[in-house]
Amino acid sequence: MINRRNFLTTVALGTASAAFLSACGQSSSSGKAGSAENPVTITYTWWGNDDRAERTRKAIALFESKNPDVKVNGNFTDFAGYWQKRATEAAGGGLPDVMQWDLSYLRDYGQRNQLLDLGTVKINTDAFDKSLLPSGQIRGKTYGIPTSTNAFAVYYDPAKLKAMGIAEPDGTWNYKEFNSFLAEVGQKGNGTLFGGTDYTGVWWMFNIWLRQNNIQAFTDEGKLGFSKDDLKKWWNTTAQLRGTPAIVGEDKTTQLLPKSPFGSNVTATEVTWDNFMAGYLGDSGAKELKLVPVPSDNSDNLGLFLKPSMLMVASAKTKYKDAAARFIDFMVNDPEVGQIFKTSRGVPASKTQRDGTTFEGTDKLVVDYEKSIEKYLKDAPEPPIVGFGTLESSFKRVSSDLNYGKLTIDGAADAWFKEAEDLIKQNA
Amino acid sequence: MTQTPTLSRRSQSSTPSQPRTSRRRGTDARAGYTFLLPWLLGFIALTVGPMISSLYLSFTNYNLFDAPKWIGLDNYATLFQDERFLQSVGVTLSYVVFGTPLKLAAALAIAMLLNSKRKGQGFYRSAFYAPSLIGASVSIAIVWKAMFGDSGPVDEGLSFFGIDLGGWVGNPSMTMPMMILLTVWQFGAPMVIFLAGLKQIPADLYEAASMDGAGPVRKFFNITWPMLSPVIFFNLLMETIHAFQIFASAYIISNGEGGPAGSTLFYTLYLYLRGFSDFRMGYASAMAWLLVIVVGIITLIFFKTSKSWVHYSGDSK
Repeated sequence: MINRRNFLTTVALGTASAAFLSACGQSSSSGKAGSAENPVTITYTWWGNDDRAERTRKAIALFESKNPDVKVNGNFTDFAGYWQKRATEAAGGGLPDVMQWDLSYLRDYGQRNQLLDLGTVKINTDAFDKSLLPSGQIRGKTYGIPTSTNAFAVYYDPAKLKAMGIAEPDGTWNYKEFNSFLAEVGQKGNGTLFGGTDYTGVWWMFNIWLRQNNIQAFTDEGKLGFSKDDLKKWWNTTAQLRGTPAIVGEDKTTQLLPKSPFGSNVTATEVTWDNFMAGYLGDSGAKELKLVPVPSDNSDNLGLFLKPSMLMVASAKTKYKDAAARFIDFMVNDPEVGQIFKTSRGVPASKTQRDGTTFEGTDKLVVDYEKSIEKYLKDAPEPPIVGFGTLESSFKRVSSDLNYGKLTIDGAADAWFKEAEDLIKQNA
Repeated sequence: MTQTPTLSRRSQSSTPSQPRTSRRRGTDARAGYTFLLPWLLGFIALTVGPMISSLYLSFTNYNLFDAPKWIGLDNYATLFQDERFLQSVGVTLSYVVFGTPLKLAAALAIAMLLNSKRKGQGFYRSAFYAPSLIGASVSIAIVWKAMFGDSGPVDEGLSFFGIDLGGWVGNPSMTMPMMILLTVWQFGAPMVIFLAGLKQIPADLYEAASMDGAGPVRKFFNITWPMLSPVIFFNLLMETIHAFQIFASAYIISNGEGGPAGSTLFYTLYLYLRGFSDFRMGYASAMAWLLVIVVGIITLIFFKTSKSWVHYSGDSK
């Protein structure tokens, strides 16, 4: 039997408990600067596997011991889920304070004022190669600091080639030679070992091929710089190999996800970024993996370039600009951090970090590889357009439909161009 | 305690306290609303509000960051030229059309088995219900993926019998059967409801039918089916709506991409990808509203056609 007094009590209690609950939610945000007794907590997120998580955890512990007034709360996901999560957070206005970032998505967020202009905080970039920094900049503002660089390469497993009696490649090959190499591996692999994955399904390899033919992927106005015929020609490069042991079938590739066929010891080669070395070694359990340059029909122009393998960015809405900047500075410059990550993020971009790190074994292979291609390196590609992340993943998807035989080369080119043009129109 | 004093007290007090009762009814209502308030606030803030804003967004070009731009019906118009959208409709419909009846058939069959008295009945009931308790969880989707993968137990088992299908996960024509098997396996919830319905059917109907010489098939179609029809209708409706909304297992099994070759690109998965991978929230909202409308129409059709086959006790028919 609720009378007026009881009713009021109920309401008052309800209000009080609501107030109490919201007070609990706020208790963690105290002031902007922390102290050793009362540190501020910044959140940090990255994509990667267990190997990177372990290294990151070490780096964070080191940072916290040197900066007792800041605590870093880290967490990670895989690459695909990473961007969906960031989109949700951005829509809700709650991006983590500091994030590992990819070039593909820098414009999407930077141009839309989601990222902090790092030019307004204190981060030391003296030890960086001046040609690398612009890749983190949009319209004169610095949104990302590269942690490291990577370059495209062909990985191979020397032990597997030796077992089949195939000579190790020296990396001076054109597409025809590369394809016959894949075919030979596939043939001798006896159905258990394939030549490689279909390299024409990788956007960046296509981009490199365009550069080898002096074609720009995107125009300065943010339009496509290549034609449908270029794309058809590209996908035709491996037309004879699809469905043969030279290229692993798409059904197998799909089942192995999230590991790659190369990491799962299903192929003898893979064309991808050179900083995947640590991950591949961990996944495959191979003793040694080697790197050689990508094929090119023009031996003077390999189309190769150094790309920031990943960047560090901060949220535009972070309450702890100073702490975030200190953490970024630490992650890109500190020599001990270089010693922790070695080449697993790529070759360190900052000279202090590079010089403070001893590279041995496979890490040395990665560094040596980047040195060996120095003479071929051209400027990094034009910054990707807004929505590039979507284009890249639809490129992968359409190529996979092509490999499944669900699409012809003409159909695949039509499908991708339709999506690309629609996307460019959307974001114009 | 006898009933008389209570009765007399009530009758005594009824006349003088007439105005007091209505006042009390007023306070009761207020108390009711007070207790309803948390739910009501939640409903308005978390359901009605987002629905209205998503309806608005469906008429805009919204990329999650910039202010939405009004574009009228453009999103709805482009939907039907989008091949991936059409593919997602096809995938979802085939899942609903094949998965739902199979799941209900399994649920009914097992419910009838469990309805008869036998030893360990409680155990069997729990055992059959368990999969649907954990069914929506991420871990089951992962286990399912491993089971149907290359040289997983299913592949190995089938090869033992000379059926060589290879892994199902990477084969575009086998992923749908796999998804349907997953939903059929989770028949526990409709099964429990069927079981409750079966208990309501008077045993003497069956006895009478037996006396008249009816066999089990005849009993099923002339007694069980019509007596159970309201329950069947309820389950059919709920499971159909449920099937349209499949998301979590598809997301896990296809690595969040709807692959291989778009064979698991379910409607809600494509909606999610459009919204959160491609930053096309307006487009995703249009898809969401289209789904609401279609499910609404299908529900309506079910209700209209149900008159001819669903029998409620007390019906003249």
